[in-house]
Amino acid sequence: MSDNRKKLKSIILLVIIVVFAFAGGVLYVFTKKFTDITKEKVDYTISAFDLINEFKNNDSLANKKYAEKIITVTGLVTEVESADTTVNIKMADTTSGSYAIFAFQQQNLTEAKAIKEGDKVSIKGSCSGGAYSQILETEFITFKRCALTK
Amino acid sequence: MKKTILILALALNSATMFAQKKITTSGVINFNATTSLDPLPKAENKTVVAALDTKTGAIAFEAIMKSFSFANPMMQDHFNSSSWLDSDKFPTSTFKGNITNFRTVNLKKDGTYQVDVAGDLTIHGVTKSVTSKGTIVVSEKVIAANADFNIQVADYGITGKGIDAGKVSKEPKITVAIEFK
Repeated sequence: MSDNRKKLKSIILLVIIVVFAFAGGVLYVFTKKFTDITKEKVDYTISAFDLINEFKNNDSLANKKYAEKIITVTGLVTEVESADTTVNIKMADTTSGSYAIFAFQQQNLTEAKAIKEGDKVSIKGSCSGGAYSQILETEFITFKRCALTK
Repeated sequence: MKKTILILALALNSATMFAQKKITTSGVINFNATTSLDPLPKAENKTVVAALDTKTGAIAFEAIMKSFSFANPMMQDHFNSSSWLDSDKFPTSTFKGNITNFRTVNLKKDGTYQVDVAGDLTIHGVTKSVTSKGTIVVSEKVIAANADFNIQVADYGITGKGIDAGKVSKEPKITVAIEFK
Protein backbone atom coordinates (compact mmCIF):
# COMPACT_ATOMS: atom_id res chain seq x y z
CA MET A 1 0.00 0.00 0.00
CA SER A 2 2.77 2.37 1.04
CA ASP A 3 4.76 1.31 -2.01
CA ASN A 4 1.90 2.24 -4.36
CA ARG A 5 1.42 5.56 -2.65
CA LYS A 6 5.13 6.28 -3.04
CA LYS A 7 4.90 5.42 -6.72
CA LEU A 8 1.87 7.65 -7.17
CA LYS A 9 3.63 10.52 -5.42
CA SER A 10 6.64 10.14 -7.73
CA ILE A 11 4.44 10.08 -10.79
CA ILE A 12 2.53 13.18 -9.70
CA LEU A 13 5.82 14.96 -8.97
CA LEU A 14 7.15 13.97 -12.38
CA VAL A 15 4.03 15.23 -14.11
CA ILE A 16 4.25 18.54 -12.23
CA ILE A 17 7.90 18.93 -13.22
CA VAL A 18 7.14 18.18 -16.87
CA VAL A 19 4.23 20.63 -16.95
CA PHE A 20 6.33 23.37 -15.39
CA ALA A 21 9.22 22.66 -17.75
CA PHE A 22 6.86 22.81 -20.73
CA ALA A 23 5.26 26.04 -19.48
CA GLY A 24 8.70 27.47 -18.88
CA GLY A 25 9.76 26.55 -22.39
CA VAL A 26 6.69 28.16 -23.92
CA LEU A 27 7.17 31.31 -21.83
CA TYR A 28 10.80 31.46 -22.94
CA VAL A 29 9.94 31.25 -26.63
CA PHE A 30 7.20 33.84 -26.29
CA THR A 31 9.28 36.38 -24.38
CA LYS A 32 12.76 35.80 -25.75
CA LYS A 33 14.34 38.81 -27.41
CA PHE A 34 16.55 38.73 -30.47
CA THR A 35 20.23 38.14 -29.69
CA ASP A 36 22.42 41.19 -30.17
CA ILE A 37 23.35 41.06 -33.85
CA THR A 38 27.06 41.37 -33.08
CA LYS A 39 26.84 37.96 -31.41
CA GLU A 40 24.89 36.28 -34.23
CA LYS A 41 26.54 33.90 -36.69
CA VAL A 42 27.01 35.39 -40.16
CA ASP A 43 25.36 33.52 -43.03
CA TYR A 44 26.90 35.55 -45.87
CA THR A 45 29.60 38.18 -46.38
CA ILE A 46 29.23 40.20 -49.55
CA SER A 47 29.97 43.60 -51.08
CA ALA A 48 27.07 46.03 -51.48
CA PHE A 49 27.83 46.13 -55.19
CA ASP A 50 27.47 42.36 -55.60
CA LEU A 51 24.41 42.16 -53.37
CA ILE A 52 22.60 44.87 -55.30
CA ASN A 53 23.44 43.19 -58.59
CA GLU A 54 22.14 39.83 -57.39
CA PHE A 55 18.83 41.43 -56.47
CA LYS A 56 18.65 43.42 -59.70
CA ASN A 57 19.27 40.33 -61.79
CA ASN A 58 16.71 38.12 -60.08
CA ASP A 59 15.07 39.40 -56.98
CA SER A 60 12.94 36.27 -56.38
CA LEU A 61 16.06 34.14 -56.28
CA ALA A 62 17.95 36.67 -54.19
CA ASN A 63 15.02 36.93 -51.75
CA LYS A 64 14.92 33.15 -51.31
CA LYS A 65 18.65 33.17 -50.66
CA TYR A 66 19.04 36.20 -48.40
CA ALA A 67 15.76 37.07 -46.66
CA GLU A 68 15.97 36.73 -42.85
CA LYS A 69 19.66 35.75 -43.08
CA ILE A 70 22.41 37.53 -41.16
CA ILE A 71 24.67 39.22 -43.68
CA THR A 72 27.81 41.32 -43.43
CA VAL A 73 27.83 43.87 -46.24
CA THR A 74 30.88 45.98 -47.10
CA GLY A 75 30.68 49.11 -49.16
CA LEU A 76 30.82 52.85 -49.47
CA VAL A 77 28.30 54.90 -47.51
CA THR A 78 26.41 57.06 -49.97
CA GLU A 79 23.96 58.57 -47.51
CA VAL A 80 23.31 58.84 -43.79
CA GLU A 81 19.60 59.35 -43.14
CA SER A 82 18.74 60.45 -39.65
CA ALA A 83 15.47 61.36 -38.01
CA ASP A 84 14.41 61.65 -34.37
CA THR A 85 15.05 58.11 -33.26
CA THR A 86 16.40 56.49 -36.37
CA VAL A 87 19.66 56.41 -38.25
CA ASN A 88 19.76 54.54 -41.52
CA ILE A 89 22.94 54.03 -43.51
CA LYS A 90 22.61 53.68 -47.26
CA MET A 91 24.94 52.09 -49.81
CA ALA A 92 23.69 52.96 -53.27
CA ASP A 93 24.76 52.07 -56.78
CA THR A 94 25.06 55.61 -58.08
CA THR A 95 24.37 54.74 -61.72
CA SER A 96 21.07 52.94 -61.25
CA GLY A 97 20.01 54.37 -57.92
CA SER A 98 19.41 50.88 -56.54
CA TYR A 99 20.48 50.63 -52.93
CA ALA A 100 20.85 48.66 -49.74
CA ILE A 101 19.73 50.44 -46.57
CA PHE A 102 20.62 49.49 -42.99
CA ALA A 103 18.49 50.31 -39.94
CA PHE A 104 20.64 50.07 -36.80
CA GLN A 105 19.88 48.29 -33.52
CA GLN A 106 18.93 50.59 -30.65
CA GLN A 107 22.19 49.80 -28.83
CA ASN A 108 24.26 50.78 -31.88
CA LEU A 109 22.59 54.07 -32.79
CA THR A 110 25.48 56.16 -31.43
CA GLU A 111 28.02 54.47 -33.66
CA ALA A 112 25.64 54.83 -36.62
CA LYS A 113 25.39 58.58 -36.03
CA ALA A 114 29.19 58.84 -36.25
CA ILE A 115 29.30 57.33 -39.75
CA LYS A 116 29.90 59.78 -42.59
CA GLU A 117 29.08 59.79 -46.28
CA GLY A 118 32.07 58.39 -48.14
CA ASP A 119 33.14 56.08 -45.31
CA LYS A 120 33.96 52.53 -46.30
CA VAL A 121 32.20 50.31 -43.77
CA SER A 122 31.20 46.77 -42.95
CA ILE A 123 27.67 46.42 -41.60
CA LYS A 124 26.11 43.28 -40.16
CA GLY A 125 22.34 42.92 -40.10
CA SER A 126 19.26 40.84 -40.76
CA CYS A 127 18.30 41.08 -44.42
CA SER A 128 14.60 41.84 -44.98
CA GLY A 129 14.87 41.09 -48.67
CA GLY A 130 14.52 43.39 -51.63
CA ALA A 131 11.81 44.70 -53.90
CA TYR A 132 11.39 46.92 -56.91
CA SER A 133 10.13 50.33 -55.85
CA GLN A 134 7.47 51.77 -58.15
CA ILE A 135 8.07 55.14 -56.51
CA LEU A 136 11.82 55.21 -57.10
CA GLU A 137 11.92 52.91 -60.14
CA THR A 138 14.90 51.09 -58.64
CA GLU A 139 15.56 47.96 -56.64
CA PHE A 140 15.90 48.45 -52.89
CA ILE A 141 17.11 46.03 -50.25
CA THR A 142 16.45 46.67 -46.57
CA PHE A 143 18.18 45.45 -43.44
CA LYS A 144 17.11 45.57 -39.80
CA ARG A 145 18.86 45.16 -36.41
CA CYS A 146 22.18 46.34 -37.85
CA ALA A 147 25.53 47.13 -36.29
CA LEU A 148 28.98 48.03 -37.54
CA THR A 149 31.36 45.15 -37.78
CA LYS A 150 35.11 44.95 -38.28
CA MET B 1 17.45 77.55 -82.48
CA LYS B 2 13.88 76.34 -82.11
CA LYS B 3 15.20 72.87 -81.29
CA THR B 4 17.48 74.28 -78.56
CA ILE B 5 14.58 76.19 -77.03
CA LEU B 6 12.43 73.06 -77.10
CA ILE B 7 15.15 70.97 -75.47
CA LEU B 8 15.73 73.64 -72.83
CA ALA B 9 12.00 73.90 -72.20
CA LEU B 10 11.69 70.13 -71.75
CA ALA B 11 14.73 70.01 -69.49
CA LEU B 12 13.33 72.81 -67.35
CA ASN B 13 9.96 71.11 -67.20
CA SER B 14 11.40 67.80 -66.03
CA ALA B 15 13.62 69.65 -63.56
CA THR B 16 10.58 71.28 -62.01
CA MET B 17 8.72 67.98 -62.08
CA PHE B 18 11.55 66.39 -60.12
CA ALA B 19 11.67 69.34 -57.78
CA GLN B 20 8.00 68.94 -56.94
CA LYS B 21 8.30 65.29 -55.84
CA LYS B 22 9.78 64.93 -52.36
CA ILE B 23 11.14 61.50 -51.55
CA THR B 24 12.39 59.70 -48.50
CA THR B 25 13.78 56.20 -48.09
CA SER B 26 13.66 56.26 -44.30
CA GLY B 27 9.99 56.61 -43.49
CA VAL B 28 8.85 54.92 -40.27
CA ILE B 29 5.71 52.83 -39.91
CA ASN B 30 4.68 51.23 -36.65
CA PHE B 31 2.19 48.47 -36.47
CA ASN B 32 0.56 47.66 -33.14
CA ALA B 33 -1.68 44.63 -32.78
CA THR B 34 -1.15 44.18 -29.04
CA THR B 35 -3.99 43.30 -26.72
CA SER B 36 -4.38 43.08 -22.97
CA LEU B 37 -3.53 39.39 -23.36
CA ASP B 38 -0.38 39.85 -25.39
CA PRO B 39 2.01 42.79 -25.53
CA LEU B 40 4.20 41.22 -28.21
CA PRO B 41 2.59 41.74 -31.62
CA LYS B 42 4.02 45.12 -32.50
CA ALA B 43 6.75 46.06 -34.92
CA GLU B 44 8.51 48.96 -36.56
CA ASN B 45 9.66 49.42 -40.13
CA LYS B 46 12.26 52.18 -40.46
CA THR B 47 13.07 51.92 -44.16
CA VAL B 48 9.78 52.80 -45.81
CA VAL B 49 10.00 54.52 -49.21
CA ALA B 50 7.63 57.48 -49.44
CA ALA B 51 6.86 60.26 -51.89
CA LEU B 52 4.93 63.51 -51.68
CA ASP B 53 4.02 65.59 -54.70
CA THR B 54 4.27 69.16 -53.42
CA LYS B 55 2.13 70.48 -56.27
CA THR B 56 -0.81 68.07 -56.12
CA GLY B 57 -0.67 66.60 -52.60
CA ALA B 58 -0.40 63.07 -53.94
CA ILE B 59 1.23 60.82 -51.39
CA ALA B 60 2.51 57.26 -51.62
CA PHE B 61 4.54 54.78 -49.63
CA GLU B 62 5.97 51.28 -49.98
CA ALA B 63 7.04 49.06 -47.11
CA ILE B 64 8.95 45.78 -47.36
CA MET B 65 7.04 43.46 -45.00
CA LYS B 66 10.08 41.63 -43.64
CA SER B 67 11.46 44.99 -42.58
CA PHE B 68 8.86 45.15 -39.80
CA SER B 69 11.13 44.37 -36.90
CA PHE B 70 9.72 42.61 -33.82
CA ALA B 71 11.48 42.22 -30.48
CA ASN B 72 10.69 38.52 -30.35
CA PRO B 73 12.00 36.02 -32.96
CA MET B 74 8.87 33.86 -32.87
CA MET B 75 6.62 36.83 -33.60
CA GLN B 76 8.92 37.87 -36.45
CA ASP B 77 8.59 34.40 -37.93
CA HIS B 78 4.83 34.10 -37.49
CA PHE B 79 4.13 37.57 -38.90
CA ASN B 80 5.79 36.73 -42.21
CA SER B 81 4.59 33.13 -42.41
CA SER B 82 2.04 31.88 -44.91
CA SER B 83 -0.66 31.71 -42.23
CA TRP B 84 -0.35 35.44 -41.50
CA LEU B 85 1.01 38.11 -43.84
CA ASP B 86 2.55 35.56 -46.25
CA SER B 87 5.44 37.89 -47.00
CA ASP B 88 7.10 35.51 -49.47
CA LYS B 89 4.03 35.89 -51.66
CA PHE B 90 3.26 39.53 -50.81
CA PRO B 91 6.62 41.11 -50.07
CA THR B 92 5.45 44.72 -49.90
CA SER B 93 2.55 46.81 -48.63
CA THR B 94 1.73 50.03 -50.43
CA PHE B 95 -0.37 53.13 -50.13
CA LYS B 96 -1.30 55.45 -52.98
CA GLY B 97 -3.49 58.44 -52.28
CA ASN B 98 -3.93 62.13 -51.81
CA ILE B 99 -4.15 64.82 -49.20
CA THR B 100 -7.75 65.75 -49.93
CA ASN B 101 -7.62 69.20 -48.32
CA PHE B 102 -4.27 70.05 -49.88
CA ARG B 103 -5.50 73.53 -50.76
CA THR B 104 -5.33 74.41 -47.05
CA VAL B 105 -1.67 73.37 -46.83
CA ASN B 106 1.19 75.73 -47.68
CA LEU B 107 4.37 73.67 -47.78
CA LYS B 108 6.44 76.81 -48.19
CA LYS B 109 5.24 78.28 -44.90
CA ASP B 110 6.34 76.94 -41.52
CA GLY B 111 3.41 75.71 -39.50
CA THR B 112 1.25 72.77 -38.49
CA TYR B 113 -1.46 71.70 -40.89
CA GLN B 114 -4.28 69.25 -40.14
CA VAL B 115 -4.79 67.08 -43.18
CA ASP B 116 -7.23 64.53 -44.50
CA VAL B 117 -5.73 61.68 -46.47
CA ALA B 118 -7.56 59.21 -48.68
CA GLY B 119 -6.25 56.47 -50.89
CA ASP B 120 -5.74 52.80 -51.59
CA LEU B 121 -3.93 50.64 -49.07
CA THR B 122 -2.68 47.26 -50.24
CA ILE B 123 -1.74 44.65 -47.63
CA HIS B 124 -1.50 40.90 -48.13
CA GLY B 125 -2.44 41.37 -51.79
CA VAL B 126 -5.76 43.05 -50.96
CA THR B 127 -6.47 46.69 -51.80
CA LYS B 128 -8.94 48.74 -49.79
CA SER B 129 -9.87 52.41 -49.75
CA VAL B 130 -8.84 54.05 -46.51
CA THR B 131 -9.07 57.51 -45.05
CA SER B 132 -7.16 59.04 -42.21
CA LYS B 133 -6.56 62.31 -40.45
CA GLY B 134 -2.99 63.44 -40.16
CA THR B 135 -0.75 66.37 -39.52
CA ILE B 136 1.92 67.99 -41.61
CA VAL B 137 4.46 70.11 -39.81
CA VAL B 138 6.61 72.36 -41.97
CA SER B 139 9.69 73.63 -40.22
CA GLU B 140 12.75 75.07 -41.89
CA LYS B 141 12.27 73.19 -45.17
CA VAL B 142 11.59 69.85 -43.45
CA ILE B 143 8.11 68.45 -44.06
CA ALA B 144 7.08 66.01 -41.35
CA ALA B 145 3.96 64.00 -42.12
CA ASN B 146 2.26 61.93 -39.41
CA ALA B 147 -0.88 59.88 -39.39
CA ASP B 148 -2.38 57.03 -37.52
CA PHE B 149 -5.30 54.87 -38.34
CA ASN B 150 -6.68 51.44 -37.58
CA ILE B 151 -7.29 48.69 -40.08
CA GLN B 152 -9.53 45.65 -39.80
CA VAL B 153 -7.26 42.65 -40.42
CA ALA B 154 -10.19 40.66 -41.77
CA ASP B 155 -10.59 43.23 -44.56
CA TYR B 156 -7.19 42.17 -45.86
CA GLY B 157 -7.81 38.44 -45.61
CA ILE B 158 -5.71 38.10 -42.47
CA THR B 159 -7.10 35.57 -40.02
CA GLY B 160 -5.61 33.28 -37.45
CA LYS B 161 -5.95 31.53 -34.12
CA GLY B 162 -4.13 34.36 -32.35
CA ILE B 163 -6.81 36.82 -33.42
CA ASP B 164 -9.60 34.50 -32.31
CA ALA B 165 -7.84 33.92 -29.00
CA GLY B 166 -7.70 37.67 -28.34
CA LYS B 167 -3.91 37.78 -28.50
CA VAL B 168 -3.69 39.73 -31.73
CA SER B 169 -5.89 42.76 -32.23
CA LYS B 170 -8.61 42.56 -34.89
CA GLU B 171 -7.95 46.20 -35.65
CA PRO B 172 -4.27 47.01 -35.25
CA LYS B 173 -3.10 50.59 -35.25
CA ILE B 174 -0.80 51.75 -38.00
CA THR B 175 1.30 54.84 -37.25
CA VAL B 176 3.09 56.57 -40.09
CA ALA B 177 5.89 59.10 -39.50
CA ILE B 178 7.64 60.39 -42.58
CA GLU B 179 10.11 63.24 -42.92
CA PHE B 180 10.78 64.83 -46.26
CA LYS B 181 13.88 66.97 -46.35
